[in-house]
Amino acid sequence: MRKQPLCPVTESPDAKQVLALSLLVLATGLPLVRYLHWQINAFLLLLFVVRLFGLRWRMAIPGAWLRVLLTLAGTANCLYANHTLVGQDGGTALFVTMLALKLLELNTRRDLRLTAILTGFLIVIQFLFDQSLPLTIYLGAMAVGAVALLVDLNGGLGDARLRSTLRVAVSLSLQALPLTLALFVLFPRLTTPLWSLGLDSEQGTLGMSDSMEPGAISELVVNGELAFRVRFDSTPPHSDQLYWRGPVLWEMDGRRWSPGSVTLPADGADNPKLEQFANPIAYEIVLEPTHKTWLFALDMPVTAPDDASINRDFQLLSRQPVNSAKRYRVRSALDYRTAEPSASLRQQALQLPDNITPRMRGLVADWRSHADSDWALVQQGLAFFNRESFHYTLLPPKLGKNPADEFLFETRSGFCEHYASSFALLMRIAGIPARIVLGYLGAETNRIGGYQMVWQSDAHAWVEVLIAGRGWVRVDPTAAVDPSRIDNRSATRLLGAASPVRFSLDQASAVSQFVRSLRLLADTLDATWQNWVLDFSAADQFALLDRLGLGDFEYGLAVLMVLAVSLTLSVILLALMRDRSTPEPLDALYARFCQRLAAAGLPRRETEGSSDFGHRVMRQRPDLTAAVSRFLALYLPARFGSHPRPATIRLLALQLLGFHPKSAKRNA
Amino acid sequence: MAVSVRQRFENLLRRVPVGVDGVARVGTRQIYILPTRTGLMFGSVLLVMLLGSLNYQNNLGLLFTFFFASVGLIAMHHAWFNLLGLAVQARSGSPVFAGETVTVEIRLRAEGRRARHDIQVRKDQRTALPVHVPGGTQRLVSFGLPATRRGLQRIADLTIETHHPMQLFRAWCYVATDATILVYPAPARHAPDPVHDAGDARRPNRSGGEGADDYLGSRNYRHGDSPRQIDWKAFARERGLVVKQFGGDQGQDVWIDWSRLATPDPERRLSLLTRQVLDVSASGVRFGLRLPGTTEGLSQGATHVQRCLTRLALFDHAQTTTLPRH
Repeated sequence: MRKQPLCPVTESPDAKQVLALSLLVLATGLPLVRYLHWQINAFLLLLFVVRLFGLRWRMAIPGAWLRVLLTLAGTANCLYANHTLVGQDGGTALFVTMLALKLLELNTRRDLRLTAILTGFLIVIQFLFDQSLPLTIYLGAMAVGAVALLVDLNGGLGDARLRSTLRVAVSLSLQALPLTLALFVLFPRLTTPLWSLGLDSEQGTLGMSDSMEPGAISELVVNGELAFRVRFDSTPPHSDQLYWRGPVLWEMDGRRWSPGSVTLPADGADNPKLEQFANPIAYEIVLEPTHKTWLFALDMPVTAPDDASINRDFQLLSRQPVNSAKRYRVRSALDYRTAEPSASLRQQALQLPDNITPRMRGLVADWRSHADSDWALVQQGLAFFNRESFHYTLLPPKLGKNPADEFLFETRSGFCEHYASSFALLMRIAGIPARIVLGYLGAETNRIGGYQMVWQSDAHAWVEVLIAGRGWVRVDPTAAVDPSRIDNRSATRLLGAASPVRFSLDQASAVSQFVRSLRLLADTLDATWQNWVLDFSAADQFALLDRLGLGDFEYGLAVLMVLAVSLTLSVILLALMRDRSTPEPLDALYARFCQRLAAAGLPRRETEGSSDFGHRVMRQRPDLTAAVSRFLALYLPARFGSHPRPATIRLLALQLLGFHPKSAKRNA
Repeated sequence: MAVSVRQRFENLLRRVPVGVDGVARVGTRQIYILPTRTGLMFGSVLLVMLLGSLNYQNNLGLLFTFFFASVGLIAMHHAWFNLLGLAVQARSGSPVFAGETVTVEIRLRAEGRRARHDIQVRKDQRTALPVHVPGGTQRLVSFGLPATRRGLQRIADLTIETHHPMQLFRAWCYVATDATILVYPAPARHAPDPVHDAGDARRPNRSGGEGADDYLGSRNYRHGDSPRQIDWKAFARERGLVVKQFGGDQGQDVWIDWSRLATPDPERRLSLLTRQVLDVSASGVRFGLRLPGTTEGLSQGATHVQRCLTRLALFDHAQTTTLPRH
């Protein structure tokens, strides 16, 4: 309406507010430091130091020209560090730099307000990097802090500034919570992004890769991160059945297995077929982001979710890369028989590198002479691993030029990759088509949450051999050397990579049991968080609408949101309108005083003032004179004077403690 | 034209009426509320946050965006509630001469237990400092208004506004106070001596009541008073030198008369008359005031001076108005 006049007296911020704002921005931005380039962090640190010095010595705050220079330097710094000013990393760096620069220009309360509001933006930006529950709680506190700062910047709260500011801010935030919830659940989501996301896809691709090079790394990094969670509709299968299928590797170049460059023959093999299957089980998986299109499913997936397909290797593939946690339902058959592959594929599965040594061929020839069928030869091979002195270790020695040969005849220690690789090669030498499957093995049961957890450290590699009449058959040579590997001895994870693998949970101390259940609890919390907050999507909203019978209504969600928000608001307003708030302590004490007297048969009359009432009591019950007059001597001046002092209130409360007049009849 | 449109618009505004007890209580339908510049800024940052979070399908971003939006919504209602039920009572101070500053006292009372925060009183472009009113108490806000024209000035509309709690919204209401300021004409710097009592035809016939020995009261001794007038009894009682005043004893009565002045501008004439009233009252003689259509009889003392000044203040539009009681 009317333009606001400037109020120079109230518009200049005080030093405390500037300090509070600087600390708020610092504390809010702190978790982001992990994801920013070190140069950006250094520049931010410089700005904060200048800001803090500026609180003590105003001279330290740079003038307008210097600020322009700093802005240019900050932009250049961002450009140099990220090579861009847009996208997730570039944009964040630029925004944080500019926000920190703004801290050097806090001349009016308007500047402070703007910065406090932008702190909200700083909070939201961080969820692009980290969506964990602890960070959310931390940033929630920061959000309340920003609200409190805005409240303080408005002022006009009277004495006890800090306390009343916090009270107003906390009550605002608490009242906002139900509304937030209503909006969160019902605000219509987008099913497809409005513009290109520009997510940096190279970040965080820990876990599985689509190639395998046994012996290249001499130490398996036991990655303690979660790969996915599974919830079975019925009883989970036994843990030695839990082979979670991932990429399939066909080609070996002597050192390294890769998917190979097989082009599919157009013989309909694109639609993989299971000739027979039994015992299909249904389950739901929540996959952590991988930035790949792989979805994991139990051997063998039968039905794919809508936005995914099953490829010729029976691998489940999503249409979009999994950049955020993805939930999907699959059905798998544990007992199955695959169709025979085409001749060209069969040929692919017999490909051999050129570093096959004579002693490898000799070994296979020896087995062949003892076996009358392909399957018998496979058994020979497994028996070999079991019989000879192979060791399962997560810390294998590094292998040289010919890893398969060195592993089989010299080092003889390694983990799944070594066993799977050498076994597949030996089978191919024997003329049995073989391929490598990467995936996960086993799962840890979380009883608290009622689901299974599969960790990155459960990553596994196994072999599939083609047996006439049976199709592709899964063979796990690692299991042959160390059956405990497929037992669910997940306690290894607690202990890190360097600890012995044969660790039995039965021997675990009470402490480690306790740690384990704590970890399970934490994961349950995390899963709930994932399920209910992070994964909440348009699909869930439509499911909710359907359940409410509004599924066919096009604007059902929007209407429901408006309704719910207005309803919540009116409930809050009604609560505010009631003008409840606790009565003044003095009134409460007097009410209690009257109650006690009423209980003793001396109720106060409606029209009676406190002084008259006291006199009447003393006339009727002379034995109470001392107590009543002592109370009134404190109460009356407090009531009719100015503000009662807290000491008076305390004294009155103390007197009431011992004031329990008995009924007159019993006295008489 | 513009003025009349503005006038019409202002007539459309709802004002808080003054109750029978002289207190205006802010009701639900009289509160206006609009976002401030900070509020608009807040809104645009929220919009960016919303679009970004929706696009990145980032639920936590949405959650916090909705949190801030909800805080804004709640803050809007708090601003509204902060004014609702506030009792406002305006009182003007003592009368002033035109050109001086009149002090208006606004009593703000938070009835009930709810405290009111950041209440600002504004009249035109003048703003009082914001006050905090704890529940069940009242605060007095006073600020000066320029008294520009003589006469009975209504304070008319006061604006009571608040930015509580986050200055995202400004809630305000117009309070139609019935407080009035009496503004005397600005006294001229110099004025000709008024006419001393001579045989004037228009002079009312002095007879009866106002005899020579009418005791009018006492006043402190001034240099030049006749020793005969001194109240020696009072002096004996150690009350100091006090002069008894008798109606006829001052010698000449003075008539301050509109028609005696030749100045054509009536306002200028009024300000000359005002100066005369002030001068004559300082000299302590009995005087009367004659204005066209009205006459203030011969008398003395502060009350009389006030009555004369009031006549001057309300002249021309005072014909139908009775004198305000003092």
